[in-house]
Amino acid sequence: MIRNTVATLALTLLLTLHSQACLADDPVIPDDKFVYCTVCHGMQLRGIEQLQAPRLSGMDAWYVRKQLDAFSKNWRGAHAKDYAGMEMRPMAAILSAPEIAEAADFVSKTRSPMPEATVAGDAVRGEKLYTSCGVCHGTRAEGNEGLGAPALVGGSDWYLARQIRNFRDGIRGASPADMYGVQMRAAASVLPDDDAVDDIVAYLNTLQPE
Amino acid sequence: MNEQVSRRRFLGLVGAAGGATAVYQASRAMGLLPDTGKPALLQLARAPKSGNKVVILGAGLTGLTIAYELERAGYDCTIVEASHRVGGRILTLRHGDKIDEMGYDSVCRFDDEPHLYFNCGAARIAGHHHRVLHYCRELGVPLEIMANDNAEAYTHDPDAFGGRPVRIREFRTDARGFLSELLYKAVDRNEFDKPLSEQDRLNMLEFARAYGELNEEARYKGSKRAGFGQGTDGFASLGLLKDPMDLSELLNSSFWRHSMHFNEDENWAAPLMTPTGGMDKIPQAFAREIQSPITLNAQVQAIRLRDSGVEVAYNHRGKRHQIRADYCFNNIPAHFVAGIDNNFPETYAKTIAGMYRNNFGKIGLQMKSRFWERENIYGGITFTRQRINQIWYPSHGIHRQKGVVLGCYAFGRDQTAFFERMTPQERIRFAGAAGDKIHNGYSEQIDTGVSVMWGRMKHMMGCGSTFRSPEEWEKLFPIVQNPQGRHYMVGDQVSYHPTWQEGAFSSAEFALQHLDQRVRAAARA
Ligand SMILES: Cc1cc2nc3c(=O)[nH]c(=O)nc-3n(C[C@H](O)[C@H](O)[C@H](O)COP(=O)(O)OP(=O)(O)OC[C@H]3O[C@@H](n4cnc5c(N)ncnc54)[C@H](O)[C@@H]3O)c2cc1C
Ligand code: HEC
Ligand code: HEC
Repeated sequence: MIRNTVATLALTLLLTLHSQACLADDPVIPDDKFVYCTVCHGMQLRGIEQLQAPRLSGMDAWYVRKQLDAFSKNWRGAHAKDYAGMEMRPMAAILSAPEIAEAADFVSKTRSPMPEATVAGDAVRGEKLYTSCGVCHGTRAEGNEGLGAPALVGGSDWYLARQIRNFRDGIRGASPADMYGVQMRAAASVLPDDDAVDDIVAYLNTLQPE
Repeated sequence: MNEQVSRRRFLGLVGAAGGATAVYQASRAMGLLPDTGKPALLQLARAPKSGNKVVILGAGLTGLTIAYELERAGYDCTIVEASHRVGGRILTLRHGDKIDEMGYDSVCRFDDEPHLYFNCGAARIAGHHHRVLHYCRELGVPLEIMANDNAEAYTHDPDAFGGRPVRIREFRTDARGFLSELLYKAVDRNEFDKPLSEQDRLNMLEFARAYGELNEEARYKGSKRAGFGQGTDGFASLGLLKDPMDLSELLNSSFWRHSMHFNEDENWAAPLMTPTGGMDKIPQAFAREIQSPITLNAQVQAIRLRDSGVEVAYNHRGKRHQIRADYCFNNIPAHFVAGIDNNFPETYAKTIAGMYRNNFGKIGLQMKSRFWERENIYGGITFTRQRINQIWYPSHGIHRQKGVVLGCYAFGRDQTAFFERMTPQERIRFAGAAGDKIHNGYSEQIDTGVSVMWGRMKHMMGCGSTFRSPEEWEKLFPIVQNPQGRHYMVGDQVSYHPTWQEGAFSSAEFALQHLDQRVRAAARA
């Protein structure tokens, strides 16, 4: 309880500071060739739910590289039911290997406030369920490069929920060549029920980045 | 006025000071031009001496209109536009133009000829769009009639009439004929619920006969309105009537469900107009008149409401810039606003973010020859139940060698999603194959094509955010329409009918009147 209050206070302070911050502060300015990323993902890649494009601010470059690669290899965004992935796939397909690295570097340097919670679930149950996930994603959902498992803290919750369901339903991680996707698909398949997805995401919403 | 100064010289001076519009207005005031149409829409008070700095986000039609009106009233305006061009959803593609679809940047390969252009967004203006027409008149944008409805064009349904295209005139005439015959019989037998006076009854019978062109026995046996048949043309040979089509076949076709009445809609009824040479003549005319700086390639990053103004940050050529203004008019599509760093109150932010993002898309095909004219089709629209929905034949450039047809018009998110997922080349091929079902050799006639799916276009990602339920209109629309502090949301998205330029102008009008009242009230206080 106390921990929560402190976190809330810190967050309020952060937000207040943020809204007073000088607009001329220099967050990363995308190269002209990556401005289009911000058209869907928002300024500083803060995420735009209406466009289904998740928050990417400060995401680890290694994971961004991998995902851009996954999109261009049709591991993501090619399944007939993966409407949001289809929005993204052509955006990655046009990038050359060096451009993928540049894009990932840009993504990792962006900064924005933590996203708002939109998914309602039982965070207490979620915390219990998360134990199995933490093995790969880290106990604080900070990610583990060695296992190819991304940080889950700081992601748009509606997006994370969709991805877990996508893995569970074989919409993502279905291609045998997509080694990491296949592993995650297996992990998602053991979730007991649909509520579990929202519960875990509700729990992730209570975590703060280090 | 000094008697020595000739009218002509006077107008020259006016022109130097105030541009073409001032000349036009002065000419009107001097009685040199006929006073046609409604008077100016807005009578804005002069801007206050201080506190008159305005920043306009987005150079769509609404942003341009606001800059145009406010600078004339003495405001100090700045326009910040993310794209490489002004005009937003008014885009006319010609030889060499950039098509900035995200993921598929390309260049329009039409031949370099003035009549070979394609209006990818707005294309038509109706006679009652009086705000659009007011500005066309004021800015001197020439308009021409554009056929929307053409009896010689086709209706096509793969599942009716053996998949054969049928001339609209034939379908329409037979449908009316059958209907009239039924009506005649019902009236004749007094099968109406309401009693008709004898005079009404006789009039009604005559109406039925005239409506469907019934014969002496009040039967429908065909009409010359359907076009002559049996190889006759009614000029060199005596015109013979076609046999009416099979009723159940006619009813099986989808045409009457929607498309048959399409051109009777409020905004689509003939005749319609379009600017000569392309719809972008309108934003170009504004851009020409506007003196205020318009910065292109300047994407807004942050908006901060302050007690006595608004602060805006944007990126331009790799640098961050900041503007402080007394008022801000925000023409940016609603679905992008949540992606811009802002300090809007929660209700305001949520309402804007919650608007429904609509979507449209068009495909334009440059044809090697105007083969449709050899099928008696000059302008107008063919309707098909295939996914391309429509084929538009150009009303301009008649009998030239080539022409640009509209090869697909997708309405709404479900329809556009189908095309968005294809590459531009796949879309052109799809449109070609669909056209082949209607015109022999259609796809072989395609020189080159363009496809503009607005949901994939950079800085656009949709067409006209809106509300949908009556409750939303009542509760939420006023939240978006009214300013938050000194920040006004504008655009066709802030009108009761987005996806029409008239909606964009009406939004500009509302916001400007609101500002004007505010400024006047402050001056009184
Ligand atoms: C396919 C189609 C057919 C249509 N047909 C007709 C028709 O026949 N007749 C008719 O009257 N109307 C038609 N319309 C509607 C008409 O085009 C629109 O109503 C009108 O152009 C809307 O103008 P606007 O000012 O509201 O906004 P927009 O044109 O949407 O302008 C928004 C501007 O904001 C800019 N912007 C976006 N993000 C940023 C940012 N971060 N920073 C700065 N700037 C930004 C955009 O680049 C754009 O210039 C059609 C539209 C479409 C798409
Ligand atoms: C047309 C809109 C659009 C554009 C432009 C776009 N994206 Fe995306 N992006 C999306 C959507 C939608 C998703 C979510 C896909 C899903 O749900 O599977 C996404 C997902 C992603 C992901 C996966 C995130 C994760 O957590 O796995 C990355 C990384 C990404 N985008 C990076 C980029 C970069 C970098 C650019 C510019 C080079 C870019 N995007 C441009 C719409 C877009
Ligand atoms: C065996 C290791 C492993 C376990 C266990 C595991 N994951 Fe994952 N997870 C991964 C890997 C690897 C990826 C990256 C997949 C890829 O590269 O496409 C991933 C991706 C994800 C993503 C997508 C993130 C994004 O930004 O797109 C989500 C969400 C996720 N995991 C949630 C979970 C949840 C919830 C659990 C527990 C039920 C879980 N994971 C268990 C390895 C694991």
